[in-house]
Amino acid sequence: MTHNDASTTSVQRSAGTDNEPDFGPNTLLKVRNLSTRFFTDEGQVNAVESLDFEVKEGEVFGIVGESGSGKSVTGLSILDLIESPGRITDGEIWFRNRSLADEFNEQQSQAVRDEFVNLLELPESVHRSLRGNSFSMIFQDPMSSFDPTSTVGEQIAEAVEVQQRTSSNPRSARSRTQGYGFKSMVLGSILPSKSFVTEPSMERAIELLELVGIPDPKKRAQEYPHQFSGGMLQRAMIAQALAGEPDLLIADEPTTALDVTIQAQILSLLSDIQEERGMSVILITHNLGVVARVADRLGVMYAGEIAERGTLKEIFENHTHPYTAGLLGSIPEIDEAERLRPIPGNVPSLLDHEMGDRCYFADRCPKAMEECMEKPPEYEINDDHRVRCYLANREFDEDRSIRDHFDGEGGEPS
Amino acid sequence: MISTRTIRNLKNELSRSFLAKLGLILVGGAIFVAVLAPLLAPHDPTQQMLQVRNQPPVFLGGTWEYPLGTDALGRDMLSRVIYGARTSLLVGVVASGFGALVGIGIGIISGYYRGWIDDVAMRSVDVSLAIPGLVLALTIFSIIGPIAINIPDPIVALGFAQEMPDSFTFPGTVAFVIGVIAVRQFARLARGEALSVREEEYVKSSEAAGASNIRVMFIHVLPNTMTPLLVFWTLRLAHAILTESTLSFLGFSGTTLSWGYDISAGRDYLGTAWWIASVPGVAILFAVIGVNLLGDWLRDALDPGLQEGYE
Amino acid sequence: MSLLKFTIKRTIHGIVVAWAALTIIFALRFISPVDIASALIPPDVPPTARESLIEDLGLDQPWYVQYLRYIGGVVQGDLGYSYVSRISVNQLAINRLPATLELAVAATLVSVVLSIPLGVISATNRHQVPDYLASFFALLGISTPNFWLGIMLVLLVSVMLGWFPTSGREFGFYEAMRLLILDGNRYGIIQWLYHITLPAITLGTYYVALLTRLTRSEMLDQLSEEYVRVLRAKGLPETLVTFKHVLRNSLIPVVTVLGLQFGSFINGAVVVEVVFRWPGMGEFLIRAIRTVDWPVIQGTLIIIAITWVTINFGVDILYTIIDPRVTLEGESE
Repeated sequence: MTHNDASTTSVQRSAGTDNEPDFGPNTLLKVRNLSTRFFTDEGQVNAVESLDFEVKEGEVFGIVGESGSGKSVTGLSILDLIESPGRITDGEIWFRNRSLADEFNEQQSQAVRDEFVNLLELPESVHRSLRGNSFSMIFQDPMSSFDPTSTVGEQIAEAVEVQQRTSSNPRSARSRTQGYGFKSMVLGSILPSKSFVTEPSMERAIELLELVGIPDPKKRAQEYPHQFSGGMLQRAMIAQALAGEPDLLIADEPTTALDVTIQAQILSLLSDIQEERGMSVILITHNLGVVARVADRLGVMYAGEIAERGTLKEIFENHTHPYTAGLLGSIPEIDEAERLRPIPGNVPSLLDHEMGDRCYFADRCPKAMEECMEKPPEYEINDDHRVRCYLANREFDEDRSIRDHFDGEGGEPS
Repeated sequence: MISTRTIRNLKNELSRSFLAKLGLILVGGAIFVAVLAPLLAPHDPTQQMLQVRNQPPVFLGGTWEYPLGTDALGRDMLSRVIYGARTSLLVGVVASGFGALVGIGIGIISGYYRGWIDDVAMRSVDVSLAIPGLVLALTIFSIIGPIAINIPDPIVALGFAQEMPDSFTFPGTVAFVIGVIAVRQFARLARGEALSVREEEYVKSSEAAGASNIRVMFIHVLPNTMTPLLVFWTLRLAHAILTESTLSFLGFSGTTLSWGYDISAGRDYLGTAWWIASVPGVAILFAVIGVNLLGDWLRDALDPGLQEGYE
Repeated sequence: MSLLKFTIKRTIHGIVVAWAALTIIFALRFISPVDIASALIPPDVPPTARESLIEDLGLDQPWYVQYLRYIGGVVQGDLGYSYVSRISVNQLAINRLPATLELAVAATLVSVVLSIPLGVISATNRHQVPDYLASFFALLGISTPNFWLGIMLVLLVSVMLGWFPTSGREFGFYEAMRLLILDGNRYGIIQWLYHITLPAITLGTYYVALLTRLTRSEMLDQLSEEYVRVLRAKGLPETLVTFKHVLRNSLIPVVTVLGLQFGSFINGAVVVEVVFRWPGMGEFLIRAIRTVDWPVIQGTLIIIAITWVTINFGVDILYTIIDPRVTLEGESE
C-alpha cells in the first residue's frame, strides 16, 4: 500500500538551498537547486527546475520519468552539453575532484569546498575538460550517435586520444589539438584521416571493444557504424564512454532503442562494468523495470522536478507520491481498486507562462486536494526518502478533493 | 489549397522577417514600374537624340532631363530601365509559368503512372540535362529564330501617355526557350513529389474507393506537391530573369528594350560612359534579389523543412 | 561491383546519352524553319556556285543520309568540318578545349577556397554578424548576372585601376609551364595568371554564393545531429568536432552539387568567355550558333555531353571515398 501514515513518519521540511552544502563521506556528485531553461520562440521552457539530488561513489542512481520530464536535460547539464537556446540559469553542481579543488582553492575559493568543486562556477573550458575523463555519457540511439563517415574504431580511439592528451596536460586546450594543424583540418574534412589518432590509441580502442564483448574486435574496429547492429553499436558506445575511465557515467535511456533481448544484455554489461570499476552511474530511463534491475537509489522526475527520491526499496515499497504510484502501474482508485491503468492526462507543458504555481501533477493526480494548488515543499520522510507531495504528512481527504476541478481538461484549472 | 493556416504562416513570417518585407517591396516595385511604364518613363525609350549622346546621370553632373543619363544613341536610360522591367518580368513569368505548367504535368503523370511513361519521360529529361540550359536555349533559339510579338500598349491606346511607343515587343522565342529549359527541372521535382505523395494513405484510399486516375492526380496529388513546387517556381523565376538578360546580352533576343541588351551595348563605352552598362545591371540585381527573397519567404513560411540552396 | 564493371557500365551510359543528345539536336535541325543553305550562303552567290556549295556541304542529301554519315564520322572520332571556316571540328575543339578547362579549374578553385570557409564561419557563428555578412554576399552572388559582374570587374579593376587586362588569353597553361620548366622563364605563367584572374573570379562568384549557402545549411543540419553531442560528450575539442566530423559530413552533398552544377558551369563559361573574349569552347559555340555552323554546334554539344557524363562518373567514384555508406552498387542505378 502506498498510504503513509503521517503520525509514524518523521516529517520535516528539507533543508533550504541557500546554506552550505553538506557532503556525505562517499558523495561523488551533489546537484543543488539546478535550473535549466530553454528560451524558445514560444516562450521560456523550464526543462529542469530547482533540482536536488546526490550520487554516491560506486552506486547506480536511477532517474525515472516520462519523456519530457527533464531527465535528459539533467544529464546534459552535468556535462555542459546544453545548447542554445538552452541555458543553465541557476544552481550548483558539486563534483568530487581533489586535483581541481587544489588548483582552484586559491583563485576561486567560492567554487571549492573540501574536495569538491562547483562545476558551474569554474571556467567553461575547465568544466568541459572533464568530459570523457571525469564523466561521460551514453545516449539513447546508438545508430545516430556515431559519425557515419568514420570507422567505429577511430571514433573510440579519438576518445582514448583525447583522454591521454588531457591526462598529460589537463588544462591545456592546445595540447588536445596538437598535431592537428591546418593541413589535417583540410584533408580530414575530405578524406578519411587518422591524423589525430595514434597507433596506441587505436590498440586501446580495440581492447575496449573486446571488453564490451564485441567479437573479432580488430576487424570490427575497421568497420563503419552502418555495418554494426544496434546492440553492437550500443556496446561500442559504452566502450567509447569508458575510454577515459570516468568516475561517473551518465546513461541516457541506454536500452530504449534496442530489442528486448539485447536490452537485457546491455544492462548486465553496464552493471558488470560498473561493479568491476566501482564507478558511479546515473541511469536515465522511463522504464522502472530497468531501474529495478540495476539501480541502488533513484529519483522520480516530473515536470522538471524530482517528485520523489530515495533508495530503490523505499521508492518501490513505500512510495508516497501518487505519480510514483502511477509509474509503478497501479493507481489504487477508490472504486476500481487494484486495477492496472496508465496515468491519465498528458505530460505537462513546461512553458513558464503555462505552469501554475501549484503541484504540477495536480491535474492528473487522483488524490489532488485543495492544498495542491500551492506548490508543495520537499518533505523528508526518512534519511533515505524525500518527496515533494503533501501526502507526506497528511492523509488524502476526499472532501477536499479537487479532482473534478480538472476533469475534461488536461490543462489549467478553470 | 490556400488555407487560412497558410495565409497566417505567410503573414507571421512576413512580420518577423525584414528580408521578406524587402523582397516584397522590390518585387512589388518592379511590377508597379513594369505595368505603368508609359506613365512613369520621362521619355520614349526608343527615341534617339543624337545631340544628347552619352549624357552622364544627374549624380555625375548630368541634368534632371535625363536622370540616369543617356546611351550612345541619345536614348534616355531611365526610360529604358523602366521599360526593360516589362521585358524581364513578362518573359520571366511567362517562361517560368510555361516551364512549370508543362514540367509539372509531365512530372505528375510520370510519377503517378510510373511504368513506361515514367521511363520515357525521365530518360528524356536525363539526356537533355546533359546539355547545359543556356546552351540548349541558344541552340533552340537558333533553330526557331527570333520571333517578336507586338502587344498593343493599353495605357497608350487609351490616351493616358502620349509620345510613348504604342506597342510593346514581347520576345516570344526567348520566353519559349527559357520555358523549355525549365521544363526539365520541374518535371524531375514534380515526379519526385508525386512519387512520395502517391504512397500516402489518403491517395491510396481514394484509389481504393474507385476514384479515377485523373481525379486522384488533380484532387490529391497535385495540391500536395504544391508547396515545394511553388518555392521552386520562385527560384526558376529568378533564373528566368537572369537567363533573359543573358540571352539578350549575347545578342539572342527579339527586342532591344531589355536590360541585357543595354549592358551589351554599353560595354564599348566603359571608358567614357560607364553608366550605360552599369545602370541596367543594378536593375537586374534588384529584381532578382527581390524574387529570391520572396522565395526564401515562401520557403520559410510554408515549408521550413525544405532545403536551402539554389539551383 | 568492381570498378571495371562500373566503368564499362558508365561508359555505355555516356555513349547513349551523347548519342541521344546528338539525335535530338539533329532532329530539331530538320524541323527548323531556318534554311541552312540560305543562312550560310550570301544571296549574291550565283546559282551554280550555290548548288555546288550545297553539294559540297552534303546538304542536298536526304536527312537520313546526312544523319548516318555524321554518326559514322563521330564513331570514328571525326566530328566533321565547319560549314563556315571548313576546318575540322576536331582541330577547332582541340585548340579551344584547354582554355575552357583552365578557366573551369581556376573558377572551381576560387569557389571552393572561398565558399567552404565562408560556410563554416557562417554556420559556426549562426545569427551573428559574420553569418549575416556571409549570407548577404551569398544572396548578392546568386542574384548578380554573371556577364554584368564581369563587365563591372573590367570597369573597376581594368579600366579604372588598370590592374588586370580587359580580355584575352596570351598564353595557355601548357605553353606557360613549358616556358617555365624548359627555359626558366616566368613571363608565360605570369601572363597566364594575369589574364585568367578576372574571368576565374567572375565565373567562380556564383558558385561561391551557391556553395556558401549549401555548406552553411549542411553544417547546421549536421550540427544538430546526435553524433555531434556524443563527440562533445567524449571531450573531443571543438576544432576536431567541426572539421574532422561535421564539415566532412557536410561536404558530401557539396560534392554532389559541384557535380550537378556542371551544366550551369558551362552556361557561365559561355558567358564569361564572351565577356572576356576568352578563346574557349563557349565563345566558339556562341559564334557557331550565330553563324548556324551545325557541325561545330553538334561537335561542341557532344564534347559537353561526354564531359558531363565523365564528371558524374568522377563524382560517383569520389562519393564512395568520402561516404563509406555509399557503394558502387548503390550508385550505379
